[in-house]
Amino acid sequence: MKSTEYSEKTLDHFRNPRNVGILEGENVAKGRVGNPVCGDLMEIYIEVEDDHIKDIKFQTFGCGSAVATSSMVTELVKGMSLDEAMKMTRDDVAGALDGLPPIKMHCSNLAADALHAAIKNWREGIRPNQIDAELPLYVQKPCKPSETPIEGESEFLGKGVYNGADDYGPFKDKRVIVRDMGDTASAELAIELDKHTGRVIFITSLKEGEMNPDIKKQLKRSDVKVLYESELLKIMGQDEVEKVLVNDLDEDQEYELFVDVVVIKR
Amino acid sequence: MTTAETDTEVYLDYQSAKPVDPRVVEAMHPYFFEQFGNPSSLHLEGDRATKILEKCREEIARFIGASPKEILFTSGATESNNLALIGYAMRNKRKGDHIIISEVEHISIHNIAKYLERNGFEISKVPVDQYGRVDPKKLENRITEKTILASIGYGSNEVGTIQPMETICQILKNRGIAIHTDAVAAEGLVPIDVNEVPVDLMSLSSNDIYGPKGLGALYLRKGAGIMPIIMGGGQERGLRSGTENIAAIVGMAEAARIARDEMSEEAERLSGYRDRLIAGVLERIPKAYLNGHPTERLPNNAHFRFEAVEGESLMLSLKDKGVSASTGSACTSKTLEPSHTLVACGLLHEEAHGSLEFTFGRFNKESDVDRILEVLPGILERLRGLSPLYERS
Repeated sequence: MKSTEYSEKTLDHFRNPRNVGILEGENVAKGRVGNPVCGDLMEIYIEVEDDHIKDIKFQTFGCGSAVATSSMVTELVKGMSLDEAMKMTRDDVAGALDGLPPIKMHCSNLAADALHAAIKNWREGIRPNQIDAELPLYVQKPCKPSETPIEGESEFLGKGVYNGADDYGPFKDKRVIVRDMGDTASAELAIELDKHTGRVIFITSLKEGEMNPDIKKQLKRSDVKVLYESELLKIMGQDEVEKVLVNDLDEDQEYELFVDVVVIKR
Repeated sequence: MTTAETDTEVYLDYQSAKPVDPRVVEAMHPYFFEQFGNPSSLHLEGDRATKILEKCREEIARFIGASPKEILFTSGATESNNLALIGYAMRNKRKGDHIIISEVEHISIHNIAKYLERNGFEISKVPVDQYGRVDPKKLENRITEKTILASIGYGSNEVGTIQPMETICQILKNRGIAIHTDAVAAEGLVPIDVNEVPVDLMSLSSNDIYGPKGLGALYLRKGAGIMPIIMGGGQERGLRSGTENIAAIVGMAEAARIARDEMSEEAERLSGYRDRLIAGVLERIPKAYLNGHPTERLPNNAHFRFEAVEGESLMLSLKDKGVSASTGSACTSKTLEPSHTLVACGLLHEEAHGSLEFTFGRFNKESDVDRILEVLPGILERLRGLSPLYERS
C-alpha cells in the first residue's frame, strides 16, 4: 500500500465522520493526545453511565487517517463497558478500517490512545476543563515516533522483541536492531549490546546532524551501524522475529532487513 | 596517474569459473576424434560409446557414494536445478503444492521457485542467521501438510557457509519430504556422500570440479520420481533427452576421479590460504569484516565487507594490480541489486555493496595470498580517502 492509498472504509470515515462534536455535563470526561506541531491533535469526549460509554464524540485536527481513526474508534466503543474499551488497540482500529498504509500506522493512529486517556481521566476524576488548564496534558504525545507502537511489536514480544536488556545472554550471536526512543538510554544500550553480539543496528528518525554529539561520537567509535532518518514500521516473521520493515524517510523508500532481535526500550 | 601493474596475475574467482584440468583435457581428446559415436546407435561405434557412457556414470556415482542408475547427465547445474525442482514438483503435485527453499540459494533456484509460484505452487523461504546458516527449527516451522520438497544448497556459492545438511535431512525425512541440494559450490571441496547426507536429489556441475563447462549431473535417489522437462529421443531413461555429450561426460568423470583422489589434500592446502588471507585482512585493514561463517565454511572461500567503500571500485582497483576477485555475486551484478545472500545475512544494501569475495582453487599458490595482503590495504586506504562516508579517527 502506498503512503497515500487509503481503503474505501477509511475514505468513507474521512468524508463522513461519525460522532463529531463535544459533550458537556456531569458525567463527561475528555482525552486529548497529539501535538499540533506534529500535525495531529485529537480530543475524545465520553459520557459515562453505569461504567459504560453512553455517548462519545470527537474533534480532530489532522490528516485523513487521523480523522478516520477517530471516527472509527467512537463507533467501535459506543455502548461498551469502560474495561472493554480500554482493551481497544490501535491495531483494532486500523483493522476495522480495513488497514492503514504502514506509514500512517504510527503517526496518525492516535485515536485509541485518546480514548484510553479519556477513560483514565474519568477514573481519576479529571474533568474536561481541568485538562485545558494543564499544559503538560495538552502535549501528551511528542511527535517523535519513539513512543508510537510498531506493527507486530506485541505479537512478537518475548519472541525476539525485547523491551529492555537486563541479561545479555539472549543477544549473543544475534542480529539486533535497537530503536531510538528519543533518549540517550537507547543509544547507550545499543553501544553496550555491541560488546555482546556481532551485529547491532541503531535506528533513529533523527538526521545525523540532529543527534546528540556525544552519543554520535560514541556510536561512531563502536561497531554499531546507525540508520539515520529511518523508522521501524513493522516486525515480521514466522513464530519469531525474522525481519523488519524499515522506512527510509530521506529516500521515502521502504525495505526489509533481516534481524533476529528487536529492542524497543519501554 | 597510476597505471595498471598486471605483470603478476592472480586469479581468485574460482567460484565464477574454473580452468579445465590438463589431465581432463587429455582424457577427453580421443572422444572428439577416434571415439565419436552415439550411444543410441547399434553398431560398433555406438556400442563403444555406450560402454564409456556407463563407465563415466559409475565414476560420477562413486564420487558421491551413489549407484550409477541414480545419475543423470545434464547440460550443467542450472539444468540440473530446473530438472530437480520443476521435474519433482510436476510429478508429485498430487501429493502437495508447497516447496521450501532457503533465502541464500543460488539465483537459479530463486528464479525456478518464482516460475513454480507462477504455475500454482506455493513457495516458502527459510531465513538464515547472520552467518548464512539455515536454522533447522525455522525450516521445520515452515513445513505444512502440503510440503513435498525442500531445496537447500549444500554450501553457499557466495559467502561459503556450509549448511547443517545432516540435521536438515533428518527433519525432512521424518516428515516424508524430499530434499534437493545444489551442491555445486561444495563439490570437490568437501566430501559429499549421499549415504551420510541422504538427499533425494543433488545438482552437480562439471566445471566446478575442473571439468569442461556445459555439462552437469543430477543425482536422483532410487524411488524419487521426476517428470522430464526436455522431451526428445528418450535418452537418460527418458528423463533427459538429447544425444549424450560423450567427450564432456568423459571430462567430468575424469574430473570427479581426480577430485576423489586429491580432495582432502587440496582442501587442506586451500583452507590454509583462506585462513591466512582472512587473518591478514582483518588484522591489517580497519573496519573490515568477514561475511559467512567463521568455521563452517568452504575451504576456498574468503568473503569480506569493508566499511565505506564500494565493491566495484575495489574490484577495479584490484584488477589494476592484476588480481581477479568478485563482489556481491558475479551472477547478480548485472541487475545492480545487492546480493540477496548478503541481504539475507542481515546486511544493509550499502554494506552488501562493499563486499569482496576471494575464492581459491587448484592453481593458486601461497604467494597469491602475499600479493593480496600486499595490495589490498593500500587500495582500501586510497578509496576510503575518497569516501565521504569513512570516519577518520
